[in-house]
Order: sequence, then structure tokens, then C-alpha cells
Amino acid sequence: MDLDFILDHYDMPRNHGAFADADVVQAGGVPDCGDLVTIYLKIDPETERVMRYAFEGEGCTISQAAASVLGELATSMTLTEIEAFDATTMMELLGRDLVRSRPRCATLAVNTLKGAGAVGAQPGDRKRETPDVMFSRWVFHLAGGRYWTRTSDLIRVKDAL
Amino acid sequence: MSDYAHPEVLVDTAWVADHLRDPQVRLVESNEDILLYDTGHIPGAIKIDWVADLNDPVVRDYLSREQFEQLLSSKGIGNDTTVVFYGDKNNWWATYAFWVFKLFGHQDCRIMNGGRAKWIAEGRELTREVPHYPPAAYHAPERDDQGIRAFQYQVMQHIKQSGTALVDVRSPQEFSGERTHMPEYPQEGTLRGGHIPTAANIPWARAVREDATFKSREELAELYGAQGVTPDKDVVAYCRIGERSSHTWFVLTYLLGYPKVRNYDGSWTEWGNMVGVPIEKSYQG
Repeated sequence: MDLDFILDHYDMPRNHGAFADADVVQAGGVPDCGDLVTIYLKIDPETERVMRYAFEGEGCTISQAAASVLGELATSMTLTEIEAFDATTMMELLGRDLVRSRPRCATLAVNTLKGAGAVGAQPGDRKRETPDVMFSRWVFHLAGGRYWTRTSDLIRVKDAL
Repeated sequence: MSDYAHPEVLVDTAWVADHLRDPQVRLVESNEDILLYDTGHIPGAIKIDWVADLNDPVVRDYLSREQFEQLLSSKGIGNDTTVVFYGDKNNWWATYAFWVFKLFGHQDCRIMNGGRAKWIAEGRELTREVPHYPPAAYHAPERDDQGIRAFQYQVMQHIKQSGTALVDVRSPQEFSGERTHMPEYPQEGTLRGGHIPTAANIPWARAVREDATFKSREELAELYGAQGVTPDKDVVAYCRIGERSSHTWFVLTYLLGYPKVRNYDGSWTEWGNMVGVPIEKSYQG
């Protein structure tokens, strides 16, 4: 891929914006360098395919373009396929020469998606993830936006309160 | 800006807007986000990438004199060109590029106060057109590693001497040893956490306001003076690889006028990996 491809996705991100009835909402990011992505998935319970993908986020050109590129791939993927999708493939898709000095930015979305896929693979837990993410947002704002932790860590924090 | 010790090194966005077509001025954008320039930049600005353009590709060091001459020549920068740096993240990387240019003695380097964020906040023009300038003749002296650059062995002496100050400009978590990189970055690349003995912790970004412009001279003097970093001392600043500390070096040298400030670019990735060097660590986790 080339620079114009990444810039096109950065300028006109596909599948951008939250939707209300997501089965899974998964946040990931590197807030101190300004890269945040939240991925929303609607999953077909029969086929375990992603029926709808959306993302919100902010940050560098590569992290946000990658989240958009990923959406075009993830829609119609099964959870098993998401689990198997690796970060190296994402780097190749974006153009290794362009993103090699920013691997964390290039793979933020795919790693967040894989986290979402892991949640989505447990149908009974799908709906539970959303309030936890809301809780994580609450802690994030309480901390003045300085800390961002994996949802699983925040569940432990919440249990301890 | 007139209150600063060397106000001539700062220009504001209006000045830049007035000099967009000034052949004597070359705008240089340096960002952490390596593709940000490509999404749009100030008309006429060129891009200098801190990794690809300023560092030797093999040895951990900066360009040689010949490489620097070639770089500037290719960008159409002559010895008498006024180079105005600006960039993202509070001019973090712009000051780093400024510092490297000063290693080679480029005379007229300036920073656009507020950086890219302020230019955009003011609704000023951006373009994706990449300018091409005819090659210029550039003759650089040998890189001067003595005046504004500190090496590990010098820092080891520095911390044993009186009349010195050492500023660790990293985050409090890095300073305490809880982390070896900024929060939420992969904690890689350094074997030990903590800080160099005697260092004061003054995170670099405390020198700027919400709008990315530098704080007033009075505010800056209070910020550094309160922790013993005063102009009568020989000062060394460090961070992880020397980029954040170049920002503090700029503030102390040009805005506060401290006469002797050096940037230890080996910084924590060197010190925290060395065998047998002293480390202070307050984090007990």
C-alpha cells in the first residue's frame, strides 16, 4: 500500500462512530502519545461473524487510518478468523516501509479488535463488557485522562471498591 | 515574547504567515507523528524526520558533517537561511531538530511558538503540496559535541561535582522507576528503572501552556528555580533518548538564558542499561 491509501483512510475514515446496540465495546490505547481506539462489534450469534464494525478514536495518522482499514477487513470475519489475524499482516497491509517506525500505532486497532474478539467469543459475557468499558471511561476521566488500563484490570479495581 | 532572554529565537504564527514566501526563510516541520506532515502542512514547509534524517542509520549518533551538509543542501537550506522549526506535541520534535542543527552551528534557528497546533487552531492555511527547492551550497563545521551535548562519562563526573544541576524531564513514573518508558508505552529497551542520582524531576511539558505556547519567563524561572535548577549552575538535562530533554534544553538556554546547559542524549536508555552505574529508585513495587 502507499501513502495515499493511508491518507485516504485518515481523511475519510470508514465505519467511524459508535453504534448503540453493539455486542462488544473494546477500548485500547496509548493515551500519553494520544492514540486511542474504541471498537464496537455486532456479532451474529449463529455464525459468530462480525455483522457490523465501527470505531471511534483519536491520535496519530497511522493509528486512526489503521482502524479504518481494519474495519473493511473485519466486517464478515468470524471470531476465529479475528483470533488468527496477526499484527504482522496488518503492518504489511499498511505498508511496512511506511509504518515500521510506528508498529504500536499500526497495530493498536488490530490488537484492540483481537481483545474484542476474545470477549465476543464468550456469548454470555458480551453484554457485560459494555458497562465495564463505561466504568473504565469513568476511571479514565476521574484520573484526568492520565491513566488507561485494560478492562480486565479495571474489573479487578471495581471488585475491590 | 520580548521578556525572554533570547526572544529572537521565537517567532509567532503571524510572523510565519507574513514570511511564507520569503526566500530567506525555510520552514521545517518535525513531528512525532511521522505522517502528519503528509496530511497537511504550512505552505512551503519541508519535512525533517528525526529518525530518517537526523540520525546515523547504523551507529547510535547523529549525522556526520558531510551527511548534514548533504541534508541541508537537498532541502535548499544555505548557511545564511533562517530556519523556522515547528511541529506537533508542543514542538517536542521541533526543538530536537533545532538542537541537532545547533550541534552543527547553524546560525539562525527559530521555533514557531505554539507549533502546529496553534497554527491550526487559528484556522491558518495548510497544504499537501510538497515544495521542492533548488539545492543550496552548505558548508558545516565539524559537529561540536562539547558545548551543548553531554556524554555518559561527563554525566558521571557531573553528579559528583558541586555547582551543577541535573534535570530528569521524564514522567514521574519513569523517574521513580515504576516504568522505563512513558506510561502505556511498551516497557522495553531499558533493563533498570529509576533515575540518575541528584536529578530533579521536572517533566518537560510543564514548560508550555494549554495552547502549546511557552509559559512566561517568570513562570519558567519559578518552575526550574524552585527545584534548584538555576542559571549559576552547570546544567544537564536528560530523558529517555534525548528528545524531550532537548525541549528543556531550549527553554533553559534561550528563554531563561542559562549560560551552560547540555543535553545528555544517551539519556536513560544508555544509563539504565549500563553495568555498575549508580541509580536511585524510589518505586518499591
